[in-house]
Amino acid sequence: MLEVTGLQKIYRDREREVEAVRDLTFQLTEGELACLVGPSGCGKTTLLKCIAGLMEPTSGTVELAGRSVTGPPPDMAVVFQEYGRSLFPWLTVQGNIELPLKEKKLPKKRRGELVAESLEAVGLSGSARAYPWQLSGGMQQRVAIARAIAYEPRVLLMDEPFAAVDAQTRADLEDLIRDLWNRFDMTVLFVTHDIDEAVYLGQRVLVLSSSPTVVQDDVSINLPSVRDQLTTRSDARFTELRTRIYSEIQNAKHTSAAAK
Amino acid sequence: MTAYTTRSAGFARKAVGRIAAWFLLPLLLVLLWWASSLSSGNYYMTPPNEIATTFGEVWTAEAVSTDVLPSVARLLSGFAIAAVLGTVLGMALGLSPRLRALTEPVLEFFRAIPPPVLVPLLMLLIGVNTSMKLAVIISGCVWPILLNTIEGVRAVDPVLTDTCRCYGIRGRRWLTTLVLRSASPQIMAGLRQGLSIAIILMVISEMFASNSGLGYAIQEFQRSFAIPEMWTGIVLLGLLGVVLSVLFGLVERRVLAWYHGMRAAHRAG
Ligand SMILES: Nc1ncnc2c1ncn2[C@@H]1O[C@H](COP(=O)(O)OP(=O)(O)OP(=O)(O)O)[C@@H](O)[C@H]1O
Ligand SMILES: [Mg+2]
Repeated sequence: MLEVTGLQKIYRDREREVEAVRDLTFQLTEGELACLVGPSGCGKTTLLKCIAGLMEPTSGTVELAGRSVTGPPPDMAVVFQEYGRSLFPWLTVQGNIELPLKEKKLPKKRRGELVAESLEAVGLSGSARAYPWQLSGGMQQRVAIARAIAYEPRVLLMDEPFAAVDAQTRADLEDLIRDLWNRFDMTVLFVTHDIDEAVYLGQRVLVLSSSPTVVQDDVSINLPSVRDQLTTRSDARFTELRTRIYSEIQNAKHTSAAAK
Repeated sequence: MTAYTTRSAGFARKAVGRIAAWFLLPLLLVLLWWASSLSSGNYYMTPPNEIATTFGEVWTAEAVSTDVLPSVARLLSGFAIAAVLGTVLGMALGLSPRLRALTEPVLEFFRAIPPPVLVPLLMLLIGVNTSMKLAVIISGCVWPILLNTIEGVRAVDPVLTDTCRCYGIRGRRWLTTLVLRSASPQIMAGLRQGLSIAIILMVISEMFASNSGLGYAIQEFQRSFAIPEMWTGIVLLGLLGVVLSVLFGLVERRVLAWYHGMRAAHRAG
């Protein structure tokens, strides 16, 4: 479904060059839910933008359903890390969610249903008429998530979408994502810096090294597919997996420190 | 309940206070003017009471319809044309770096020319008529609109641009929902500057060559030493400016409600 091959991205400006990612290769199969963890600044956002066709890689390729990604593919939704800035401040919450649906030429009635459903799902039914700047950071983030799910994408990319919400909301949203992913046939790539979250959510966790970035490890999460905040997180396998990933990341730091 | 009434009473007091503050300075200035015109006895400094009485005599319904309304109509149409021209060109230039690089030197050149010096030239080229007056108004007030629009369009948040790209928002919807709206604070600032330039140029265009209009009337009064009448013209011009500015403010409050709300929210947070 999604194939990333030898992806390298070097940011260039007049004074300097930053090699954000060096050599990334991995595949996602259709309908997979994969999490991407890695230290801050290792190029997670860069990778996501390349996959979303918003940015051209310096070398390497991204292929989606057999086709090379050169621009934003249809049926793909992205929840940006800068959630607050990704909402249109001159549109209400409803307007923000509806805008992509209008472009999809959905009839008004269907748009209304999708807006209501997605807001309900993120627990913001009462805020449809509010403007984004009237909401807290966590609420804005949930609006961005609602907009993405109302779009009914086949591929959903999320860049640290729960960074600004409290622990309880975060747990609810994690369950929401798993639920949506179960209900609709979506391929989800979820970026987080929270190892527990990655293990809880994913079928698979890709661990990125620190810069120069490569895929450090690809961990398959063999937890039962029905997950629950209490039982899953206290499962022995859960603890084992998170310990493994944690030490991988520590390793990554040391190797890159040694390389320097 | 009591809390509510005291709050609304406080609100009313604030409103009254604001209105009083609004009128305080004008009132003081009028008094100052009065005192100095009485004490100096200068022929050219008509006391305010005389200006007030003359005002009614000069600006009769007929004078208003022959001199004021055509002026205002020219002002507004010139401004409207400049607004459309400036916004449309500004969006095109703001969106295209190549177009910008190509036109930048020319824009700087024309912008540096004070519009009044164009009046004689435009008179020769177009003749002494309404088109020429419109051309004067447009040639002056299009620049702040154009330049502000360019800046506004260039400052569109890249995250919003990416959001639009990823959700496939393009074409007209992209232009109106993303580009125009996000540049609207700068566009409005440009329009406001343009409006005050338009008033100045309306008067100047009528002073050079005209046989009607507010600017013409003021100049005629001055030439025939009808000093109180001249003053009424100046007062009328000032009032026109105030009214237009208030109207503009009302439109702006509506158009930029989101912007002011957002700024207030950021200040509070
Ligand atoms: N537009 C840019 N121009 C130059 N360098 C950039 C740009 N964007 C990112 N970088 C650099 O590329 C590297 C990777 O950045 P990126 O934002 O992809 O990291 P990240 O893994 O998403 O970090 P975080 O977890 O903090 O969000 C960083 O060193 C960053 O400074
Ligand atoms: Mg990032």
